[in-house]
Amino acid sequence: MTDLGLSYVPGDTVVHRLDARTKLLAQFVVALLAFTWSDSLALPVVWAVVLGAMALARVQPRSVLTGYALPFVLLAIATLTRALALGPPWVDVDAGLAATLHSLRVAAILLASAVYVQTTPVSETQAAISRLVPGKPGQFLAAGTSFVLRFLPVLLADLQSARAAQQARLGDQRRLHERMQTVALAGLNRTFERADRFSLALKARCFAWNPTPPRMSFTRADWFVSLGFAGLLAAATLA
Amino acid sequence: MIAVRDLVKAYDGVPALDGVSLTVPDGEFVVLAGPNGSGKTTLVRQFNGLLEPDAGDVLVNGTPVQDDLVAARTAVGMVFQHPRDQFVAATVREEVAFGPRNLGLPNDEIDARVADALDAVGLDGRGEDRVAALSGGEQERLAIAGALAMRPAHLVLDEPFTGLDAPAQAAVRDRLAALNAAGTSVVVVTHDLRDVADLADRVVVLRDGTIAADGDYESVHERLPDLGVRQP
Repeated sequence: MTDLGLSYVPGDTVVHRLDARTKLLAQFVVALLAFTWSDSLALPVVWAVVLGAMALARVQPRSVLTGYALPFVLLAIATLTRALALGPPWVDVDAGLAATLHSLRVAAILLASAVYVQTTPVSETQAAISRLVPGKPGQFLAAGTSFVLRFLPVLLADLQSARAAQQARLGDQRRLHERMQTVALAGLNRTFERADRFSLALKARCFAWNPTPPRMSFTRADWFVSLGFAGLLAAATLA
Repeated sequence: MIAVRDLVKAYDGVPALDGVSLTVPDGEFVVLAGPNGSGKTTLVRQFNGLLEPDAGDVLVNGTPVQDDLVAARTAVGMVFQHPRDQFVAATVREEVAFGPRNLGLPNDEIDARVADALDAVGLDGRGEDRVAALSGGEQERLAIAGALAMRPAHLVLDEPFTGLDAPAQAAVRDRLAALNAAGTSVVVVTHDLRDVADLADRVVVLRDGTIAADGDYESVHERLPDLGVRQP
């Protein structure tokens, strides 16, 4: 496991103490509002909610930037690509502004997911999804989500170590496409090897599709937060 | 008891095990030694059905492993060579609870097992620590705790001392000795007998997929250099 923005960080903040179902609802509302609320207030409100949640959860911005470095870089590239033109006037302000707004929407959702991941143990996520989606489909979805949440940080750590090993032998002096090729190939190999070992580790400890869920309780704080997000959604719908 | 009879296993036609027979009685401390590529890991991964043999039988407490994999994996706890390979959670408590949750145990029982397992490896009070923040020796002990939480009768450790400094090695050795004294049989896979020779009731040496020596340390130690095993 690695210390990136994509894994649980133990804590006792008010966000950590919320039930996973409340946090899933909040994430859903943030995503919905970010993309469907067309009012000029939408983005400021969404960002205020997300930044407020980050502060309450004591999520370190640096860890999120590290964990989501690739999506953030891609968003920046996409925005620049839309804003720049190949001929006069060279910069398309309207297109750039629209792309910036889209990128800000996606970035808000990424930050909201970082708050969720850093404050919610994987076993609670698995249990919450199993309860929200009944039957076999729920178990399948819950186990699949837990696989991703458990495996992704390990995989990213492997990619980082592949890149570090390359840099240690002056690989960073090579041209960009060569560097990308080397890391991508090493990363792909490691992904398959790591997946084999991960699967073996799960089997050795009797992996089950329906493990015992951790204790979960929907407290007054959960009701309060859930009603708040439901109210926000209602207000945006009526606006 | 773990019983292996006439075990054969090959990878792409290259033999890894060639007719291995072995028993590990309850409560025994066995060191499985041999040079790299001698078949040690291939052998122990069949103790709980992580690998299937091409021929031969593996029985745990009298039941063929493949007939009841959950029983086999509960009875035979496995600690992998690189502990990081087996970690599936971000915190120590979640990591140790992973196996008992898979067994469907009630939360009170899971809590008790986690507490006992962490206590057994000297990590009590560290439940909320991040796995990534532990030292190499602590990660090894956490991996052992993850296996112990299944309450196994047998604990198999693949090269548990690799990459550990002397104090960390001593801490792991002490824990293994204590577990064995409490009745858990222990199988340690190693290519370097210096780590555990004094703890072993028995030393089994594999070479080229066959058992080349099997007996107490005194009876096999003179042959060890010829078999590619480093002596204490």
